[in-house]
Amino acid sequence: MTPAGSLLVAHDLRKAYGPTHALDGAGFSIHPGEVVAVMGPSGSGKSTLLHCLAGIVTPDSGSIMYNGREMATMNDSQRSALRRSEFGFVFQFGQLVPELTCVENVALPLRLNGIPRKEAERTALSWMERLEVDDLGGKRPGEVSGGQGQRVAVARSLVTGPRVLFADEPTGALDSLNGERVMELLTDAARSANAAVVLVTHETRVAAYSDREIVVRDGRSRDMERVV
Amino acid sequence: MTPRPQLTAASPGAGPAPGAREDSRRAVPARVQWSRDLAMGVRFAFTGGREGWVRVLLTGVGVGLGVALLLLTTAVPNVMQARSDREYARMDLVFGAPDKPEGDNTLLVANAGTEFRGLDVRGRRLEPEGLRAPLPPGVSGFPAPGEMVVSPALKELLDSGDAALLRERLPYRITGTIGEPGLIGPAELAFYTGGEDLAARLGDGGVRRIDTFHAQKAPAEKLDPVLLLLVLTIFVVLLMPVGVFIAAAVRFGGERRDRRLAALRLVGADSRMTRRIAAGEALAGAFLGLVLGTGFFLLGRQAAGTVELFGFSVFPSYLDPAPVLALLIAVAVPAGAVAVTLLALRGVVIEPLGVVRTARPARRRLWWRLLLPLAGLGLLAPMIGKGGDSGNFNEYLVIGGVVLLLVGVTALLPWVVESVVARLNPGPVSWQLAVRRLQLSSGTAARMVNGIAVAVAGAIALQMLFAGIQDDYTKSTGQDLSRAQMEVSVPKEVSSEGARRQLAGTRGVRGAVALADSSISDRRLDPVSSVGLTVGDCAALREVARLPSCREGDVFAVRGVQDDTETPRLAEAGRKLFVDPSYQGSTKGAEAAWTVPGGIKEAAPRKDPTGWERGGFLMTTGALPAAAAPALSGRVFLTLDMAVPDVHEHVRNTAARIDPLTEPMTYTATERSERYDSIRTGLFVGAACVLALIGASLLVSQLEQLRERRKLLSALVAFGTRRRTLSLSVLWQTAIPVALGLVLAAIVGLTLGGVLLKMTAVPVTVDWLSVLAMTGIGAAVVLVVTALSVPPLLRLMRPDGLRTE
Repeated sequence: MTPAGSLLVAHDLRKAYGPTHALDGAGFSIHPGEVVAVMGPSGSGKSTLLHCLAGIVTPDSGSIMYNGREMATMNDSQRSALRRSEFGFVFQFGQLVPELTCVENVALPLRLNGIPRKEAERTALSWMERLEVDDLGGKRPGEVSGGQGQRVAVARSLVTGPRVLFADEPTGALDSLNGERVMELLTDAARSANAAVVLVTHETRVAAYSDREIVVRDGRSRDMERVV
Repeated sequence: MTPRPQLTAASPGAGPAPGAREDSRRAVPARVQWSRDLAMGVRFAFTGGREGWVRVLLTGVGVGLGVALLLLTTAVPNVMQARSDREYARMDLVFGAPDKPEGDNTLLVANAGTEFRGLDVRGRRLEPEGLRAPLPPGVSGFPAPGEMVVSPALKELLDSGDAALLRERLPYRITGTIGEPGLIGPAELAFYTGGEDLAARLGDGGVRRIDTFHAQKAPAEKLDPVLLLLVLTIFVVLLMPVGVFIAAAVRFGGERRDRRLAALRLVGADSRMTRRIAAGEALAGAFLGLVLGTGFFLLGRQAAGTVELFGFSVFPSYLDPAPVLALLIAVAVPAGAVAVTLLALRGVVIEPLGVVRTARPARRRLWWRLLLPLAGLGLLAPMIGKGGDSGNFNEYLVIGGVVLLLVGVTALLPWVVESVVARLNPGPVSWQLAVRRLQLSSGTAARMVNGIAVAVAGAIALQMLFAGIQDDYTKSTGQDLSRAQMEVSVPKEVSSEGARRQLAGTRGVRGAVALADSSISDRRLDPVSSVGLTVGDCAALREVARLPSCREGDVFAVRGVQDDTETPRLAEAGRKLFVDPSYQGSTKGAEAAWTVPGGIKEAAPRKDPTGWERGGFLMTTGALPAAAAPALSGRVFLTLDMAVPDVHEHVRNTAARIDPLTEPMTYTATERSERYDSIRTGLFVGAACVLALIGASLLVSQLEQLRERRKLLSALVAFGTRRRTLSLSVLWQTAIPVALGLVLAAIVGLTLGGVLLKMTAVPVTVDWLSVLAMTGIGAAVVLVVTALSVPPLLRLMRPDGLRTE
């Protein structure tokens, strides 16, 4: 793993939850526009690694550099601002706000950045169109299918034009057909926007959409040779 | 061989062949099926892991708080009875009761009560006349002169170091404490001290000879109809929010429970079974609530002995709930919990693949919601104007009417919230999140606010009623505070002039005027005509009459006092009159003879500082026959420098030094009916408990809602949502329904207040200040609750919420 030219680099990350060591010296790097799959069995520390890289969780020790800047030196509001403007997120169950309509959900990150509602919703609709869910704009998350909801969540993650997209088991709750479609749309949209994607998954089928794979086991990470 | 597990229709994931299951279900009687499903619900309530425990605990605590308050209410009649019984058990100075003849079973009792910084101190001077003299309740032996037994609260006060002025007044050695049977409350300040030579002072205002305490039984008095209306309304107003709160508490964790029920549907439970299982879960919460509520009540009962609210304290032993009412609570709360759960599930379709409630619910209808308050008004209408004179109210109609009007608030509020939030446009993100949330499920928000809206509506109505009838129960004392602020009554044995001099020298006293009073009549014994006699120097006499001129030795007859026909008849020159005549059966008076001199001057009446316009004769000190001097009771009017700290206490100390039987009195412009005051105090105590309960209810349901959204909150924070935005959204989410609830509460409260005033035949006026105060207090409770829920909100927004493993 060569950090040269990397957008996001982590070294020797350690994080414990009580007696459990979720990360035990893990490392990571990703270049702009690259899609990296983080694989590993349940409980291996994949999601914790993602949360640390995204600045959601502070590691107990180790270093994370984003765009040449040490994240440990940032305070909570600086990290929040970073997540608002530079990062995007997709979770396993979408985590859409149930009371907002789909277009309002997609527009939410823009509105958090201070963009007026109408303009934010216009941009949101264009992203929904790219992800083939523009007809769901007025519906609430409870009124759409799981696959549709996940595509709305992908649109939400990309709407701010993030430089890094963090996807935590984005297809974990979908059937294979829907899962594949979501992955196609996600990676295509990310590549066309030159966004790096950190893709946490335990499915090799999903990992196949990545450029590179790393495996996390017992809190340690290592690059995996791709067998073609 | 492993035995095959017993299977029921609802056992997830297993079962005999479908046909066999149908057969077995047909064979089970409905009663058994019911109890099985309920039992399963109870089991689910306790076996859902940590989440399940937290939910059932929240429900239990919520219901428990309500149950504790209900139990407290059922104990109120007993509290009143116990306090009254204690009061009568120690009754000694009964006005108008004849003194007992001296014997070895008699006791001389003199009033020695005082006041300290606004606190009443009950005091008695005791002098047993024989070995069989009755002991007051709670006292094991008579204190000797110079000794006293005191209540624990008085002992604490005297020991506190802050009561040096009181200690100076009660310099006796403390030899014991008064036991609980001798006190009406643990915070009561009381003492008994030993007396000397009280027999000589019999007939003086506060000295009596008795052979028993508890000479009179508590009279069965009927409450004035207007006060009865007040009491009934207070009970309804205070208990309604408790009921609303319990109903809300049994629905805690409803969404999660519905998802669990959907999973049960997937494995074969039918919709009726899921409802019964839900009812079982509610029962578990209600039963836990009963247990916790009893525990809270018992804890509160113990703590009650250490608390004093608005001068009202009770012993834990008073707080015994009425058994029938306690039983009613034990039955009604679980039954209510089941009813509320089943009612709530009516609007929910639990399908095997999920709960169909996230879709837009059916629009709420207004007509039946309006019927409730209208029916309430209908019940109250026939009683309009019945409160005048000796009118009476039908208690059931009053309770029914008030309940329906207040229930109307809870029925109307969800409609009002739904209708208004549907019209609100999205603004900033925090506002948008709140408005959209309310648009999706306004019912939860309305339920949260229901309790506070009912309490505020009731309180506004009660405030209007109180303000309206206040004049009827507040009497002007007639005391002229510009002329005197205190008065000290001096017993016959003490020279009023001497007392005046001592009081005038007291710190903070600007002026002192002494007058002495007695009566003067046509006969020595059992007179036919009798008028008042007032003695003092010229300056003092000018305080009670307009004198043409005055010199030492002058005598005046006061003319012109309304209905005084005696003075002109007695004021005939040369007529022989008697100062302090005697009456058969009473202590002998001084019977001092005095002849009306020729050329007696006439004086016009003038109200004295107490507002009394006196007739009869006025004498300067030099004109008084020497034999009449012992018959005079003195009183000294005092003008005070109110800027001197504790000026009243200094006066009381001087008075006690002059003679322990002096009676200092502080003037006030108005005085209110004691019963009216105690009802108002009751309202404040009750309102304090209910507001605390409502605050707790709001907090618990707020936390419960936040917990449900924990993962979502974490996700929102993950993609950069500011904590301020989410906190503000929570505030809006509470503030919008609360504002609507308070507006509705104000409308219903003003309507109810107006009707209640019309019922008491009092002109309807709105006390806007109290309306603002009540709604302000309601809003303040919400703000406090929101402030208290921010720290847990911030905790829930931590990224831990995203962890799934």
